[in-house]
Amino acid sequence: MTVSGPAGAPTLQPQLRRTALRGLAGMDRLATVGAVLLALIVLAALLAPLIAPYPDDGGSATHPLEALLPPSGAHWFGTDQVGRDVLSRVLYGARTSLLIAVAVLVIAGVVGVVLGVVAGYAGGWVRDVIMRVTDVFLAFPALLLSLALAVVLQPSVTTVIVAIAVTWWPWYARLTASVAASVSTRGFVDSARCLGVPAPVIVFRHVLPNSLTPVLVQLSLDGGGVILTAAALSYLGLGAHEPTSEWGLMVQQGQSLFTTDWWVVTCPGVAILITAFAFNVLGEGLRARLAR
Amino acid sequence: MLRYLTRRLGQAVLVVAGVVILTFVIMRLVPGDPAVAYAGPRASPAELAAARARFGLNDSLPVQLWSYVRDLLGGDWGTSLHTRRPVRDDLFQAFPASLELVGAALVVAIVVGIPLGIAAARYKGKLPDLSIRISSMLAVSVPVFWLALALQTLFASGLGWFPVAGEYDANLDATSPLHVYTNITAVDALFTGNWPILGSTLAHLVLPALVIAAYPAGVIAQMTRAALIEESSRDHARLERALGFGETAVLTRFALRPALNPVLSLIALVFAYSIVNGFLVEAVFNWPGLGRYAADSIRSLDTPAIAGVTLLVAILYVVANLAVDLVQGVIDPRVRSR
Amino acid sequence: MRWHKRLLAAGAVAVVAFTSACGGGKVRGTEDSPQPGTSQSAADATFVYVPNLDVVTDWDPASSYSNEIIAMENVYESLTRYNPQTKKAEPRLATSWTSTPDGKQWTFTLRPGVTFHTGKPLDAAAAKASIERTMKVGQGAAYIWGAVDKIEAKDATTLVFTLKYPTALDLVASAGYASYIYDTTAATGDLAKWFNEGHDAGSGPYTIDSWQKGQETELTLKKFDGYWGGWSGAHYSKISYRVTPELTTAWQLLQRGEVSFVQRLNSQLFQQASGTANVQTSQTPSFQNLLALFNTESGPLKDVKLRQAVQKAIDYDGLVAALKGAGVQASGLVPDGLLGFTPGQAPKQDLPGAEALLKEAGYGPGGKPLDLTLTYAQGDSDQEVLVTLLTSALDKLNVKLTAKPLQWTTQWDQGKSKDTSKRQDIFIMYWYPDYADAYSWFVNVFRSADPISFNLSYMKNDGIDKEIDKLPELTAIDKAGAEAAYADLQSKIIGQEAAVAVPYVQNYQRAFAKSVQGYVDNPAYPNVVFVYDLKPGA
Repeated sequence: MTVSGPAGAPTLQPQLRRTALRGLAGMDRLATVGAVLLALIVLAALLAPLIAPYPDDGGSATHPLEALLPPSGAHWFGTDQVGRDVLSRVLYGARTSLLIAVAVLVIAGVVGVVLGVVAGYAGGWVRDVIMRVTDVFLAFPALLLSLALAVVLQPSVTTVIVAIAVTWWPWYARLTASVAASVSTRGFVDSARCLGVPAPVIVFRHVLPNSLTPVLVQLSLDGGGVILTAAALSYLGLGAHEPTSEWGLMVQQGQSLFTTDWWVVTCPGVAILITAFAFNVLGEGLRARLAR
Repeated sequence: MLRYLTRRLGQAVLVVAGVVILTFVIMRLVPGDPAVAYAGPRASPAELAAARARFGLNDSLPVQLWSYVRDLLGGDWGTSLHTRRPVRDDLFQAFPASLELVGAALVVAIVVGIPLGIAAARYKGKLPDLSIRISSMLAVSVPVFWLALALQTLFASGLGWFPVAGEYDANLDATSPLHVYTNITAVDALFTGNWPILGSTLAHLVLPALVIAAYPAGVIAQMTRAALIEESSRDHARLERALGFGETAVLTRFALRPALNPVLSLIALVFAYSIVNGFLVEAVFNWPGLGRYAADSIRSLDTPAIAGVTLLVAILYVVANLAVDLVQGVIDPRVRSR
Repeated sequence: MRWHKRLLAAGAVAVVAFTSACGGGKVRGTEDSPQPGTSQSAADATFVYVPNLDVVTDWDPASSYSNEIIAMENVYESLTRYNPQTKKAEPRLATSWTSTPDGKQWTFTLRPGVTFHTGKPLDAAAAKASIERTMKVGQGAAYIWGAVDKIEAKDATTLVFTLKYPTALDLVASAGYASYIYDTTAATGDLAKWFNEGHDAGSGPYTIDSWQKGQETELTLKKFDGYWGGWSGAHYSKISYRVTPELTTAWQLLQRGEVSFVQRLNSQLFQQASGTANVQTSQTPSFQNLLALFNTESGPLKDVKLRQAVQKAIDYDGLVAALKGAGVQASGLVPDGLLGFTPGQAPKQDLPGAEALLKEAGYGPGGKPLDLTLTYAQGDSDQEVLVTLLTSALDKLNVKLTAKPLQWTTQWDQGKSKDTSKRQDIFIMYWYPDYADAYSWFVNVFRSADPISFNLSYMKNDGIDKEIDKLPELTAIDKAGAEAAYADLQSKIIGQEAAVAVPYVQNYQRAFAKSVQGYVDNPAYPNVVFVYDLKPGA
């Protein structure tokens, strides 16, 4: 159920979410599959220099005389337009994709949580202003705003991270605000207030830690959406560029070869699919378990 | 209800105002001089100055923002640097094509998604459930641009079952010209009885609509399943079972109607998302919609056009959200007090 | 529940009403309202041309200097046309011509009875007026008339040019740009503006039917009934240009018989096309080569050593191998087949040499890092291969190359920007001559120019300028001298100055429907299909 995450863009009413969650409580077997897949992908990314058959091909090596060789024992996934081993590039591409996903989630998570906690604790006009701003950002489907931003900034991995993070934080802000608001009405916050503990301390020492769980779950669920959006931006030529190995870029550069040399496009495409799938399945299972 | 309505409307207006400002800010950041882009590379300094004046580039930013808002309200969405036509006219032409495509995709998503959700709920925990859950997860995880390329290569080029690209066979414009009323080709063709173009449009729709349908179909299947399982665990379901109704009957006769409420709201919400997702698909299938228009605008740094597309989709999204909230306010009065 | 549905339905109706606000029962695809009586017969064949970029950037025949050549050559005509087989100019609007022995006076006899699409007769006075307007506008390829001192219309069919210096004016008149003869009286007001609204005033076999920039079928041309060549025999009566950016899509459209001609495929698809039953292919060596222009004026490449290092870093052999037939090794600036071609000058990759040069300047592995920027055409897979190879090779030499794919106008504007810090270090573009003569490479690309137009290496060298200026006259009177001058210039520009690298010369690889009969690629008119010369077959 990516529905309620930014990847699914639409906001679901909380009660709808709850309905969805309870129904998905039995996802555990699938979630295990997701966890294993994701662990393998992370491992592949970390060990890429060791396990890639041609580690240099993940970087700046080229072998134009061996361009577009079909899959074989020497090149399991074939070679690309300039003779690089596609398997090696797919493995190195996992690094780029995971780096983007982690960076986006950390940035968007931190910004969203801080603003959300402030809004939830302060209430009143502060909350109204912050929430109206998040409404504005949420009115742009993530890909659209990222697209407009990525045009303005120079294409690079950093641009992709910034562009997606800008569209992602409001989700966390909104979620945290609603949780923080209810936490703020609890007894221990009131007592702290009465004891004269300064507001920033209350917010970050007491309200924040108690509001984190739902956001952390949401973060784990959004990895797939981030990876898909990042791949889409690179596919549009607004993201990573040569000689970086990036899956979306590989699909874009190879797309005119689909009918003649299928492996150049198919391998990175399937890599995106599997990674997003692993994230989605794992995140869903996690959330279902925590919601029980 | 009236108070809720006004408050919700007020919020929506505020959000739209914010959307306009944000769009304006982003567009002012675009590299390259829109005056140069409009006047062309060989423009004389005088022509350039005229273009600058025309776009109000000499004014201060707040003044520019004010005239931007005034123009928008007056129906002037600017002139595209690329097509040299009013952006509003371009959008009027491109948007219906996107609407046609996404509309078709949503129909597919509903027709496929809801029965799959029912089947999964019916056989909860069994093999059909597992396979439906896996496939719906795959459907929401697949990169659309890649799926578009794959289906095009396989079914259009390889097997030759469907046309490769475009909205309909352009040669038909000569043999059976289409009278345009709504700009939605399939609708116009249907109402004017233009069967050749209707047939051709439907054939061209199949592949891109299927690709766009993947995401909403997956989401709808998951949502239907979840809502049904929730409904069927309620007291009334227990009563119905006790009365001797079979599991299928409990689900389809009694649980389905209430369970469809959240699903219907969901459909309105995935609509705007699918429009943007469709951008990537339109590029592959050369569909003459907003996506192709946006792609062209981006490649030529066509600021007014990019701003127009961004605004239109954002407003559409706000309206869809508003509609869902109001509908829910009607169904469930508790929502209003929040 | 009922409410719910009704509201949603109301919303849907509102959306439809919003989108239909501009309706009104217009008919798509034509500018005129439909004429039910004149239904199209099957014999009215349409030639569907698939370009991968927008067709029209400028409709003014005086200043047009871009992709629209593929339409312009079917709408407008010049006095002569170049034949790549005979390497000579052939009659077009002029039926014959003579020149005085000193090459300074040329007399063209015009075809009688030719009318413009506007209905006005095309006589010597009209031809004089259009060439004079083109010269006065002075944009695009107007430089081709640089030798012309004055033009006289002796009588209705006799046009006399007096030149400042001898030039092969019959070749000049065959140019792909700026040579068009058009009706300068077509509009009462601003003629350029009138053209760019989508009007034409040519004399060619086709005239503009509809033009909608940004649409998939951007342009359609229809036959001009009063064409001097007549319409007896089999001809295409319509041409439509269907913009398809994605090569695979273009190929699939052709394979399925939906289109007639694809301008450009990649080599893999081209090979597939060669083995496909309902498709024909043609491969022709072209006059179009790729140039990597180095910024000689500002930035790190101001240092000639670094320019030479980048020249040496390009994997020329590997590039041609990876292009698999879409390109051939270049030897010098001038492609084979033109006067000035210098054989035996094919460059080779030399990484140790490049590293040594970088080291001399303090860069290279272990030295300072060097950052370079490069701009190239978005969506060109051949250029992309070059960029990938060069980026990777330089990466090994501790040089970070940031390559940006851009739309042509954006790339060009950036290259021309007055602020030198906004300019790129390496500019990648194709060049082809405006007529079958090598002069264009030198006068447009390497002669100093202010403001910058195509001199995107920003070279300013008086000695080279003077040598370039002598080329037209030398070409007309002293072929051997011209050969020597071209060879000398190339060794200076590529060797000494290292202002440019020439990665490859393109091979034109066309794929077209089996039903198209009589197609011959004429590399002097890049990408142009002279549709009137074709026969529609079954």
